[in-house]
Amino acid sequence: MIHIRRIALLLLCIAFGPIASAADLLPADSSIPQAIDHYVDAKLKSEGVQPADRADDATLIRRLTLDLAGRTPTATEARAYVASKEKDKYVKLVDRLMSSRSFVRHQVDVFDAMLMRTANGKPKSLAAYLEVAIAENRPWDKMFRELISADGASDQTKGAQEYLRSTVRDIDLMANKVSVDFFGINISCAKCHDHPLVLDWTQDHFYGMKSFFNRTFENGDFIGEEEYGYVSFQTVDGDKRAAKLMFLDGKPIDEPQIKEPDDKTKKELKKRRDEFRKKKQPLPPPSFSRRMQLIDAALSTGNDQFLARSIVNRVWHQLVGQGLVMPLDQMHSMNAPSHPELLEWLSRDLIANGYDLRRLMRGIVASKTYQRASRWNGSSEDRPTPKLFAVANVKPLTPRQYAIALRMAGQDPAAHRADTPEADFEKWVEGVEGGARGLAGKFEYPGQRFQVSVDEALMLSNDENLQRELMENALVRHLRKVEDDRELIESAVWSVLSRPTDDEERRAFAAYLAQRKDQRDAAVAQIVWAMMTSGEARFNH
Amino acid sequence: MAANPQKLKKVKEFGRRDILMSMALVPDSPRLLAGSFDFNVYEFDFEAEKPEQPKRELKGHRSYVTGVALTESHIVTASYDRHMIWWDRESGEQTKRVRAHDKWLRGVEVSPDGKTLASVADDMVARLWDAKTGKPLHELRDHKPMTPHHYPSMLFCCAFSPDGNVLATGDKVGQVCLWDVKTGKLIKTVESPKCYTWDPRQRRHSIGGIRSLAFSPDGKTLAVGGMDQVGNIDHLGGKARFELFDWQNGKSVHDYQADKFKGLVEHMAFSPDGKWLALGGGDNGGLLIFFDLETKKEIKTEKAPMHIHEFAFSADHETLYAVGHNKIALYELKD
Amino acid sequence: MSSAKRKTFCGSPEHTLSRRAFLGAAAGVAAAPIAADMTQLDVLQESALAGELKKRQKHCILLWLAGGASQLETWDPKPGVETGGPFDKIKTNVPGTHISELLPKMSRRMDKTCIIRSLNTRDGGHGGGAQLMMRGRKDEPNLVYPDLGAVLAKELGRADSKVPDYVEFYSQTEGRSSARLTPGFLGARYAPVKLYEQMSPPNMSLPKSVDADDHAARAHLRDFMSRRFAAGRKSSALESHADAYARITGLMSSRDLFDIEKESKQARLRYGPSQFGQQALMARRMVEAGVPFVRVSRAWWDSHGQNFETHLELVSELDHVMSTLLDDLDERGLLKHTLVITLGEFGRTPRINASLGRDHFATAWSCSLSGCGIVGGAVYGKTDAKGEKVVDGEIGAGELFATIYEALGIKHDKEYHVGSRPIPLVNPGIKPVRDVLT
Repeated sequence: MIHIRRIALLLLCIAFGPIASAADLLPADSSIPQAIDHYVDAKLKSEGVQPADRADDATLIRRLTLDLAGRTPTATEARAYVASKEKDKYVKLVDRLMSSRSFVRHQVDVFDAMLMRTANGKPKSLAAYLEVAIAENRPWDKMFRELISADGASDQTKGAQEYLRSTVRDIDLMANKVSVDFFGINISCAKCHDHPLVLDWTQDHFYGMKSFFNRTFENGDFIGEEEYGYVSFQTVDGDKRAAKLMFLDGKPIDEPQIKEPDDKTKKELKKRRDEFRKKKQPLPPPSFSRRMQLIDAALSTGNDQFLARSIVNRVWHQLVGQGLVMPLDQMHSMNAPSHPELLEWLSRDLIANGYDLRRLMRGIVASKTYQRASRWNGSSEDRPTPKLFAVANVKPLTPRQYAIALRMAGQDPAAHRADTPEADFEKWVEGVEGGARGLAGKFEYPGQRFQVSVDEALMLSNDENLQRELMENALVRHLRKVEDDRELIESAVWSVLSRPTDDEERRAFAAYLAQRKDQRDAAVAQIVWAMMTSGEARFNH
Repeated sequence: MAANPQKLKKVKEFGRRDILMSMALVPDSPRLLAGSFDFNVYEFDFEAEKPEQPKRELKGHRSYVTGVALTESHIVTASYDRHMIWWDRESGEQTKRVRAHDKWLRGVEVSPDGKTLASVADDMVARLWDAKTGKPLHELRDHKPMTPHHYPSMLFCCAFSPDGNVLATGDKVGQVCLWDVKTGKLIKTVESPKCYTWDPRQRRHSIGGIRSLAFSPDGKTLAVGGMDQVGNIDHLGGKARFELFDWQNGKSVHDYQADKFKGLVEHMAFSPDGKWLALGGGDNGGLLIFFDLETKKEIKTEKAPMHIHEFAFSADHETLYAVGHNKIALYELKD
Repeated sequence: MSSAKRKTFCGSPEHTLSRRAFLGAAAGVAAAPIAADMTQLDVLQESALAGELKKRQKHCILLWLAGGASQLETWDPKPGVETGGPFDKIKTNVPGTHISELLPKMSRRMDKTCIIRSLNTRDGGHGGGAQLMMRGRKDEPNLVYPDLGAVLAKELGRADSKVPDYVEFYSQTEGRSSARLTPGFLGARYAPVKLYEQMSPPNMSLPKSVDADDHAARAHLRDFMSRRFAAGRKSSALESHADAYARITGLMSSRDLFDIEKESKQARLRYGPSQFGQQALMARRMVEAGVPFVRVSRAWWDSHGQNFETHLELVSELDHVMSTLLDDLDERGLLKHTLVITLGEFGRTPRINASLGRDHFATAWSCSLSGCGIVGGAVYGKTDAKGEKVVDGEIGAGELFATIYEALGIKHDKEYHVGSRPIPLVNPGIKPVRDVLT
């Protein structure tokens, strides 16, 4: 067994030690977009693939607004952006969106889904904590520390304990969930046997990780940690083995050996626990905290790669629609990244810059790679694999994004004017977003291999309340007052799809209106419905 | 009378592999006859050196033995195998075997004068028999074969009034019929619907039923035992309950739910002076409750070592014999 | 690398697969010799087979005995032993085969039915057991397998069908969420139409304000917009969006399918007054209209207390409903193309507890298969005298699923692909029970 562990360690080094020595990577003072485009373009070149052109301005403002602020732009925003001749309008837009309140609300939704959504689809919310943390752009390593220490006592960390509470009744699950969420590594396979495919992960790893959590328990509204307790497990050969406290690097951590206390002491401990529960206060940490050992181990130099790579991959996936490693929880030696050096560079950059996620996001959206068109104009046989990032991905909207997009589209175009003060606009947007909450609950959260269900199509087609929302809204009322077909179509497309229309559309919609001269009001509503339920409105492209 | 429920004390307990579903005490003797789920009837002698070793085994039934009654000359047993068997009390020989019902027999009782037997079964018929000859006397039909929810109903229990003139029978949905023993005519019905739980939505089946009946010594009060309404009908999770009826006027006079005990009240017995009522039954565990009929309060409650299916008192009421799940237990209630 | 040590202890043979896919990729082969793009492959297969299937479409009705029915009170009675319970066994019209006396009607129809008495599925929890028995295997950490209904919807559904291809009834609430059905990696296209509270799915009629012509016109506009958008873009999610909207008009036209009033009074009386009976009739109605898979769930069999009373109710109901369903399908010529399964998440303990209940038991239990592709009257497998373990023909969920697929004319080792990874319908090495297949 020792022999095997050595092999595993060796492979670990191959997989997770530096792929290239630091000298081989682009210099650390390159910018993030430079590094991204350098590595992505190099690969495209070596594969002989010509990437898609940059997306047009209308597509980019919609894409950016959805990705950063979780909403669609208003017609006024979109028109103004497309019309603007300013050279730095893209950067300014990024700045504006990232400093908006919508940005925080959207990122809360994204991270809440990432950290709290379990396989059973029962989301619990970490929103209280995330709202504070994301608003101040709290560094990711700090968030990791707070979520694992589960100290929800201060105003800064209120609600942090909800993360571990969501799995506190199943410590195996907790160990695996933490490993998946923060390190991109699913170790559950190694629970029953050394992972037969991935030599990195042995039973020692699973139970080593579990050992960080085996003393963790729920105490009222908080998470506590026992003073004692060890994990043992059965090996494949049927032997019982004591698990060593061990991080994914495979190095056992020295710890004081604590004997199980006598019954009297146990009673006292329980009494103390009960007191804190009644006071609704978190239990002070034990004299030796195994969970704190995980934090220290994971953030130690070298091991910090796990945390950095995983969050880089997740943020990349969030914005680009395809991770550098797919699936997101299989970051192991047998599943190489599409661009190993890029992942390496970005992780190094993140660590060097204090785990600043906003900096990472800003860097990714500034790259040419991010800004490519999602339409491939070549033949479909020649379409490059998504791993090359030659064409932008089409991303299904999250329930919140789609609901907000539908609500936003239904607003009166005059509600947001070019001269509306930014503070008033923010307030108005907050109202629109708030109004979308109920609708958001009706859609399915897109996981991997997401497919739109027929239930959604039936609901948007037939549900009476939704028909009013989609067909009897302020936009429809506004359009009914527009006599000129051309102006009407133009306005509808800007409001719903955030872009100018074209001749083919103009002709089709004009013909539709012409056929329904005697029922123009109904026809206008139908046009808006058709746009809102189109694939274009359902996806971020 | 020296029986005092407050002094209730378990004196003996015998473990068994089987489940004893029914029993009868042999009068003026330390012997007990019990019907088992292993299809046999066992006779135990509590003065024997090893009382847990049955003195006799009566083999003949082909399913659970759910009723044991003693006549002057015979042991009469009833079983889920649809048969009643008459066994000679002395020799233990089968003298008569009758296919008594079309479905499971849930019990057999003997009238106070020992001359008449009553049987109840899931064919929803109660039958009266000549105890000596085994000749059928009357067929008592009024219980509905199906529950209101279209499932087969069950007829769990019966009891003779102390004067032997009236037979009460109780079914799954909570109907009690009172019959004139001489004529076989229905005199009266009373309803105790709370003992039947139908879950129409969450689990969509039922649980409960009237599991025990007992007349007070003056014959005026009828106790109806079972279980209160249940939330999770996968378990015997309702409170143990009984209801008292002034049956001649068709009036419910008291409704009792145990605070501490869940499960079925499987058997009940009044004290000879009519001052208290004893209840036995249980869920996964067992219960014994003594209830004061004057103050309408519990006199004594006891966690029995097993789910009790039936119990009986010695003639002086100072000893209680209980049978049930994997156990026989003896209690004393001497002052 | 001392691979001998790497035994798949928990029985997760997926790794052999992954390794194969991995080797293929590592060798520089884009995606193994099998077609890389499964969607293309399947589309071809579907259209080629469509004509044939139309003529002879196969169906499956699963009578899902949620909560776990007792094998001892149904298909594997053991009267006369201490674990046997009070019910007797009865002869059937298949010489030598006995079933519980609670199934008198089925005893006269055993020539249409095969019993499997040797399931050992190991998972005695409601959630895990139900997932296992609906998917034929345990999920992987990052891969949710499609359940039986989703696979059959895909395999037996017709591309041009106007009816849903996966319908589920589950009107009781217990166990519904712990055993939630999923199309897994096949995606929402194969998710079930769920009939829980009402017997017709929601949103099956156009809103009052929109008539059929208006809807057709707006749908046409929607398609026009969506098609333009889809040009040059590729995403399976985007395709599923178009597909979902393409299906709704057909689905709405099948509204009558969900209207039991459209069945004759005689038919309704025949199935009896129970909710389960009426839903079985609906299942027959759907199968006749071309729905490939219907699960009729009957909860809740979890008789921890009063097992015998509960089974007296529920098995009596099952006996009537199942025998009526088999007769009805047979009379309509549908039984030879329709597989009727009775199955739950597990069976119940031979040991009888103090509440006269039986508890969860996945070690030695039974199910039944009737109709399409099945040798009627067959009995497969055997348990010991007390019913405590399997002594002959032990199988798990995988073998049962392989058998079900083969009975319906689907190769059990057929492969799907998730990315470039091939995934057979049942885990590799699992074989169907040939003895019960025609």
